[in-house]
Amino acid sequence: MTTEIAPPAIQAQQLPSGIGTAVRRIDADEKLTGRAIYAADVRLPRMLYGAVLRSPHPHARIRSIDTARARRLPGVHAVITSADTARRKWGAFRPDLYPLAVDKVRYVGDEVAAVAATDLETARLAAALIDVDYEPLPPVLSLDEALADGAPLVHDDAPGNLAHEFGFDRGGTEEWFDRSDVIIEGTWETTRQWHAAIETIGCTAEWSHGRVTMWVNTQTPFLARQRYATALGEPLRNVRVIQTDVGGGFGGKSGDDNTSVICAILAKKTGRPVQLVNSREEEFLASRPRIPMRYRVKLGFTRDGRVTAKDIDVLADNGAYTGKAQAVLGAATVRHDVLFNYRAVRARSRLVYTNLVPTGAFRGFGNPSADWAVGQAWDLAAEKLGIDLPDLFLLNAVESGSISPHNHKVNSCELKQCIEKVTTAIGWREKRANRRPNRGLAMGCSVHVSGRRSFGDYDGSAAMVRVADDGRATVIIGEGEIGTGARTTLAQIAAAELGIPVEDVTVTRPDTDLTSHALGALASRVTYVAGNAVQRAAQAACQQLLEAAAKQTGVPASELWIADGHVHGHNPEGQQLRTPVGTIARAALYQPGGEPIVGLGSFDNPSEFPDEVRYGNESGAYNFVAEAAEVEVDPDTGAITVHEVAAVVDCGTVLNPPLAEGQVEGAIAQGLGMALTERFHWADGAPEDPTFSAYKIPTAGMMPKLHVQFADSYEPTGPFGAKGVGEIALDPIPAIISSAIADAVGVRVTELPITAEKIFWSLHPATTQGNAAHPRSDKEDPS
Amino acid sequence: MPDLVRFTLNDESTEVHVDDPTATLLDVLRHKLALTGTKAGCEIGYCGSCTVIVDGRAVPACLQMVGLLTGSNVRTIEGLSSPEGLDPVQNAFAECAGFQCGFCTPGHVMALRALLDQEPDPTEEQLDATVDGNYCRCTGYAKIADSARRAAELERITRRRRLEKQEENA
Repeated sequence: MTTEIAPPAIQAQQLPSGIGTAVRRIDADEKLTGRAIYAADVRLPRMLYGAVLRSPHPHARIRSIDTARARRLPGVHAVITSADTARRKWGAFRPDLYPLAVDKVRYVGDEVAAVAATDLETARLAAALIDVDYEPLPPVLSLDEALADGAPLVHDDAPGNLAHEFGFDRGGTEEWFDRSDVIIEGTWETTRQWHAAIETIGCTAEWSHGRVTMWVNTQTPFLARQRYATALGEPLRNVRVIQTDVGGGFGGKSGDDNTSVICAILAKKTGRPVQLVNSREEEFLASRPRIPMRYRVKLGFTRDGRVTAKDIDVLADNGAYTGKAQAVLGAATVRHDVLFNYRAVRARSRLVYTNLVPTGAFRGFGNPSADWAVGQAWDLAAEKLGIDLPDLFLLNAVESGSISPHNHKVNSCELKQCIEKVTTAIGWREKRANRRPNRGLAMGCSVHVSGRRSFGDYDGSAAMVRVADDGRATVIIGEGEIGTGARTTLAQIAAAELGIPVEDVTVTRPDTDLTSHALGALASRVTYVAGNAVQRAAQAACQQLLEAAAKQTGVPASELWIADGHVHGHNPEGQQLRTPVGTIARAALYQPGGEPIVGLGSFDNPSEFPDEVRYGNESGAYNFVAEAAEVEVDPDTGAITVHEVAAVVDCGTVLNPPLAEGQVEGAIAQGLGMALTERFHWADGAPEDPTFSAYKIPTAGMMPKLHVQFADSYEPTGPFGAKGVGEIALDPIPAIISSAIADAVGVRVTELPITAEKIFWSLHPATTQGNAAHPRSDKEDPS
Repeated sequence: MPDLVRFTLNDESTEVHVDDPTATLLDVLRHKLALTGTKAGCEIGYCGSCTVIVDGRAVPACLQMVGLLTGSNVRTIEGLSSPEGLDPVQNAFAECAGFQCGFCTPGHVMALRALLDQEPDPTEEQLDATVDGNYCRCTGYAKIADSARRAAELERITRRRRLEKQEENA
């Protein structure tokens, strides 16, 4: 199925100064001094504080709600239930969520009522005084329960509890399996992983003249605004969203939960500003964690190691409401197929409602779940074929010009370089030649997009670059900053194009009233998509400056250039010209018919809007990674130590090395958390202890030695050759850790997370017989 | 009748009236004193985002009862830099890209500041143990560990310069 097309002519241009260097972040001072304003730091005059009453039941009918006691508490300004809302369902793809529960609750944490009061303590106290009469209903607390014949329905309009379903067979899968010599089959399961951003989700809302302004720590102000308007029953024009500083996103702040909506309703009801911020417990109970998937995979290979076909059957636990889960399932189904030269692929994917916390977007967007299964299947294949894993990957890796069975068109691709470099970085050959007891080694690869057409047929960005008479440039753009350093990178791009110091560039924050439409921080898109828009806007502003300077000096614009914040050239007399850009900008303005220097730039991802069965080139540029890890297992206890992780990423040109490294290092840490530590013990459909004391995210002490490198790469459609880098390094980590453990002690874990208990009981099955009380080692799943 | 608590906050004497002396320092800083640089991450003493320095020790402000602070000396992130510039610890984080979203950063900075106040020449183990005490969800800690080492270096340079200046003046 894979067709070779002529590779694009890749010409890495000479990079301008300020590109590819460790430029200090433009937000360093405010973030290091405590002056940055995050969601909970917003202070408005007369501001009230909100609190939410949540369902204690996974599934129940609401018979009645009595708010009288709560209303009587001094300091309480409003108590709201669904009667105070527009009772309109909302959601990114499948509207199924009310702002406050109507008639029924569907998970522990479902929003039932809310309070606004003069302080947080009063608000929370009042919420606890609301009396709700519930009639508990039988819940479905696992995929199997939800899919059983006659299972209770989470939503009456979703028979069989199916929220979404699709499938395809591309390239003649059965024929290719028939022609295969080696078949690998297995089923792997992932579990819920929480973003656990250290800042929880929060909003401050204020109404004025019939419009609401919402200061939200969202990754996607414009997309969130559209959904908030629907949920509020307001026309879009009545909703303005301003992004605060964002204390970590990772997909969790994409505006699929009710917190901001409830905040806006409380503000309308009270006529005062209201702030509503999730407590850590609420964040665990009611944010939108990673979707657990049960992923059956079958791979075919020829005897010499060429992959033939792949067949998958994916069941994804949607939880009670849909959010972005169906798009995540789409990525989990098709994205991996960009990576290797599959001849045929077949899939059946189903998204299943359960009475559990709704799931959604999380860094990797389905890829880590796919890699958890398919990556381990490749590891098993290498063993069965008797081919060393790096060699098997090299034999099947895609190259520039490949087209996937789903029509993904691979532009720049240095996957093979990544595999070769990571083999060296981890010391693969040496470690293979000198095996040590209880130590294991494994490798994995992944592919990600640089932006994705998901929310309609547009994945573009637009920017304005203004050069003022003080010589400073302002990049006016609505893409925002969630911590990755995106604003700094955009400033670098503008500075490089304009020829001014990066310190002289300001990048605005998103405000839906002030900037043009922006999709925001999702799908590793900002550097690539917004970077292109900023580059074009800066080029336009630069051209305007040069033309103004030409008029002012009489030297043709083509003979002038800008560097170090000055316009340079020679006048007809041969004298050197050196004029500050601010002086040029001011002179362009202060004259009859004067005009400001404002460049506009726009870029739409050169991609296709995939159809209902996910056929279509979803991104203009694909990023690749190869990673490897060495682990050690204590055979007496099952304890796992990850000694080293190496990662080599193809993200095109690296615009700011420390920032790109930070993305890779942070992604590896989250991958290790997903692999090893992040889980809850569950009881009655909810985490027993929804706090950081139970849910362990990686600490510094747990981190292995990291080797992070970047491939020499240049993406012809990227700004200065750059592609996305934000997500990809997380994707293969859990599978690599599992395969490395299998390499070390022969135990293959199929359900996340990989715990010492699971290893121990596999290594010591005899012990189990004499120990009936083997303490809740399998209670990591809600069921 | 609210209680009056007097303590020194960022080198200034401060009085706060609290209805409940068991109110946390975190709540008082953020909601009574408008010092929002100290962050609430978990409010059970796990994440370290609210780390402040009380009488020379790094403590989570979410577990510090304000009623016990009478006469104490409290330093928050807002008291670290001066109009002349950033503290060496802050400079180290800027140089080493030791932050991403920045939300846990004030806690990390204050924890390291407390260590360097106690141990001007800390060992690598002391630096690592300090970083290990605070959560970060963005960085994977590698660049925070780099920042910690750089902070110790900048601290030594700063102290040496200060000494040299004192000697010059003498």
